[in-house]
Amino acid sequence: MDPQFLLIQATSGFTMAMILFLVASGLTLLFGVVNVFNFAHGSFYMIGAYLAYTCVSVLGFNFWASLVLAGLGAGVFGMLMESIFLRRIYGRAEEAGFQILLTYSFILIIDDLVKLVWGTEYKSISRPPGFSGAVELFGVLVPTYNLAIIALGLIVAVAAWLLLSRTRAGRIARATAIDREMLSTLGVNVPLTLTVVFGVATALGGLAGALAAPLRSVTPGAGIEVIIDSLIVVVLGGMGNFWGAFLGAIILGEVNAFAVAFVADWASLFSFIVMIVVLIFKPQGLFSPAKVRKA
Amino acid sequence: MDFKREFKTLVPALVGFLFFAVLPAVRTSDYQLTIASNTIIWALFAMSFNMLFGMTGMLSFGQALYFGLGGYFVGLLVCHLGAGWFVPAVFLGVLGAGALSLIVGPMVLRLTGVYFTILTLAFAQLGWGIVVKWYDFTNGDDGIQGIIPPGVLGNKVTYYYFCFFLVSLSLWLLWRISLSPFGLILRCVRQNPDRVRFLGRRVKRNQLRIYVLSSMFTALAGALMAGVDNSVSTEMWHWTTSGEVILMCILGGIGQFYGPFAGAVLMILIEDMVGARTEMWSMVIGIIMLVMVLAFPKGVVGEFANLAARLTKKSGGMEVGLGTNTRS
Amino acid sequence: MRRSGWKIAMALSLAAVLLFPLISGAQEKVIKIGALYPMTGRAGLYGLDSVAAMEMAIAEINAKGGAAGYKLDALYTDSKVKPDYAVHVAKRYIEEDKVNFLFGTVSSGVALAVTEVSKQYKKIFIGTDAAATELTVDNLQPYYFRVSNDTFQSMAAGALYLKGMQAKKPWKKIAFIGPDYAYGHSQWNELRYNLDKLGVKYEVVGEHWPKLAQPDYTPFITTILNQKPDILVAGFWGGDTVAFIKQALPYGLFDKMLYFHPDAGGNYELMSAMGDELPNGLILGARHYNNWPETEGNKAFVDDFHKHTGRYPSYCAEAAYEGIYAIAKAVEKVGNPDDTEALVKAFEGMKLKMPEDPDGFTSYIDPASHQIVQVQAIGVTEPNDKFPPAKKMLGQWKVFKAEDLMPPKDFIEAHTKK
Repeated sequence: MDPQFLLIQATSGFTMAMILFLVASGLTLLFGVVNVFNFAHGSFYMIGAYLAYTCVSVLGFNFWASLVLAGLGAGVFGMLMESIFLRRIYGRAEEAGFQILLTYSFILIIDDLVKLVWGTEYKSISRPPGFSGAVELFGVLVPTYNLAIIALGLIVAVAAWLLLSRTRAGRIARATAIDREMLSTLGVNVPLTLTVVFGVATALGGLAGALAAPLRSVTPGAGIEVIIDSLIVVVLGGMGNFWGAFLGAIILGEVNAFAVAFVADWASLFSFIVMIVVLIFKPQGLFSPAKVRKA
Repeated sequence: MDFKREFKTLVPALVGFLFFAVLPAVRTSDYQLTIASNTIIWALFAMSFNMLFGMTGMLSFGQALYFGLGGYFVGLLVCHLGAGWFVPAVFLGVLGAGALSLIVGPMVLRLTGVYFTILTLAFAQLGWGIVVKWYDFTNGDDGIQGIIPPGVLGNKVTYYYFCFFLVSLSLWLLWRISLSPFGLILRCVRQNPDRVRFLGRRVKRNQLRIYVLSSMFTALAGALMAGVDNSVSTEMWHWTTSGEVILMCILGGIGQFYGPFAGAVLMILIEDMVGARTEMWSMVIGIIMLVMVLAFPKGVVGEFANLAARLTKKSGGMEVGLGTNTRS
Repeated sequence: MRRSGWKIAMALSLAAVLLFPLISGAQEKVIKIGALYPMTGRAGLYGLDSVAAMEMAIAEINAKGGAAGYKLDALYTDSKVKPDYAVHVAKRYIEEDKVNFLFGTVSSGVALAVTEVSKQYKKIFIGTDAAATELTVDNLQPYYFRVSNDTFQSMAAGALYLKGMQAKKPWKKIAFIGPDYAYGHSQWNELRYNLDKLGVKYEVVGEHWPKLAQPDYTPFITTILNQKPDILVAGFWGGDTVAFIKQALPYGLFDKMLYFHPDAGGNYELMSAMGDELPNGLILGARHYNNWPETEGNKAFVDDFHKHTGRYPSYCAEAAYEGIYAIAKAVEKVGNPDDTEALVKAFEGMKLKMPEDPDGFTSYIDPASHQIVQVQAIGVTEPNDKFPPAKKMLGQWKVFKAEDLMPPKDFIEAHTKK
């Protein structure tokens, strides 16, 4: 095999990984940090994509401003969902099952809401001006828009890591995963913390959807399609670990890129195989977090 | 054993049994038979799943694997070897699911909590992927059609009674299991696995046993379904099928032995009614789920039991079957 | 007891949601049609367009007094793209609602399951979209009729197109990318079958099977570029075409090879979603075009649809529209909608002037395969803003004779012998 082609595929895998990471980052934040499994994360991705479509194509806003608006919109929606509904089931017996069901009901509801608001036609937006071409790096052609996504992915990863590990707010957020009662007695407003974390996570999902909109077609049901891949990314890296999710995304992206090139026939099964192998040999994920919580 | 208590739990079972037994004779349209066939089969699926979820506390998101396996055993054997293989295929499917769950079980049981859930999901999706991909053997997502039960079973009423007999037998077995010492251990495993270990019982071994049993009954449900639809599709293997069965359990109540049965009945009726009336079924079902989770977490059966207990002023209530674990 | 009051309110509102007002069906002399279409998710567009077209046709026919004195009436249920659920609904239609015809489906998996019900209950099933060749070959049963092209017809036209092109601009290397399910695989098999039959010489340099609704095609794109085919044959479905083209654009894929997508590539929703971004020179085909043929019939259909819904139809609407006309025609001939066997005879060989028929040709249902025989055109993308929001449409048409596109005997025999 030609080494140049290997480099090209590796680059493809990396660009794929960055979008995967952006979508999964919000999920991993909730999953690991506040111990909530948001099945509807993909729906926020979808909302973000549709909001970006409205901002760019209907209202004629600047693309980058629309990204921010779409993220904020999804975040506000997420905070409402958490504070009105999800909050009510914390601490129940079999909470995990109820979380899945509650958030699953949101997938169903949001899908129809989106259909009511935007219709079923395929929506798509153009790449922002100046980002429609490609540049050559070390003999490899990389679309400039993908470079922008890679840059944003890195920024999000670093920022989230700094926020979580180096700031007081981050420490509080992480503490909510371990002992909410203790935190509460220490005078922290736990419910508010959870709502804010939820808002940040869904905003990340919305941002990812908005970023992906110029590369994909936005349709109702788009949310459900990204959730399984995001789940794999989160699990591979170890839940709640940002660098783990980062690594998980890269593994999944690269495995896909090389499977497509060399075992095209069975490429679509590789994601699941990788996840099973990792879970069996390293149940806590590749980047095992320090024991976050005892069952 | 308190006779009154025994009686109380048996009455709903008897009423249900009689209702489904005489239904073909008193039906006013054939469609009621179709719905009843669907209902009892899904009820078997839901109740065997609840042995894992409600009783042992193992939230598997991958039971579709065994549902599909059961269906495809029937589909493939009938398709390749002839209709005469229908009945043997049903039982081979059950055995096949037993064998597969003995292989998958020890692997998924290495994990607990949400990791267990996700690993079961991954295995089921892998199975789904293989069935979709292995076109030459499984016919891929085209599914397999023309699965007609042979001889007298080809008649809808006799086939219904065939299903009814097997489902009743299975539910009776599940009921016996839930009351047995083994069932007691499983309930302890859900509430406090450490204590089970202190008592000298092996948690994993018991979990594996119920995982295998549940999977075998699930495969039976899948196999019977193939005869009702006369076709099988890859949808049977998909994670949405696993999700549907979880939904049925919650709707009916996971803490009650009959909860999933009621959940299956309701779910099928609701899907049918809502689907027939509006294209916005997704939102309607979503809202129903939302309300159930928020306001009626014990499910229809559980809430009714509570209500009945309150009305008869018996504080403490009569916790039927599995008993709910209330924290906070 | 504040909480229990709240609970009762919740229970009541649930009951209210469930107790929708029942639709009273106390009409006399009605032809009942039970339609199954996806109405949610990414296939929802096709389902809703089909339903709108059905309603249009029904209103038109009923305004003229119906068929043989019968009014048409249709029930619609979301198939959810789930074969098992669709089987359930089809049985409800037959056993409870007593429909005369089953109708619809976008997904072939759903159609294959429903055609089995149609066979068991001896109830005519009019297929309007699901394109699996199996439906009219391997799994053909007496009560199934299809009023839209199957993949075989599209691929036969595609092979003829490629053959014609080879004469002018020699090509040799060919690669395929299509969704990893039956629809994708049959397209590729049938295209190669037709190329071989025509004696076209070619070399396959790659086959790619992304999953349906694959979000990211980057690794596929770079692999295809590395394989350097002259022609890339695509078999995407739905929004996947949009995603692939968008992601391949910055790589200059469309300058380096010819993009050829004969079955569902020319769908209007692709043009409307992509606007200006759609490159010129892509060779695409679809089962119905809004701007071809330029006949009165087609213009009237497209304009009416636009008037009704505010959008231009996707390819599937036309077949749903015609399916209703086919039913009306059959009932007209037989005199009632209940004599199934006579209706089957009426459908066999039925001639139907469809919006997609060019002047001088009338579609007809082949009595042997129950498959509609139609002219097929393939076009090339070029600027055209007559159908907003699309900025490009197809043009430079090549038209293929209907009879050349039907599966030949040896193909049918190879498939029906199991």
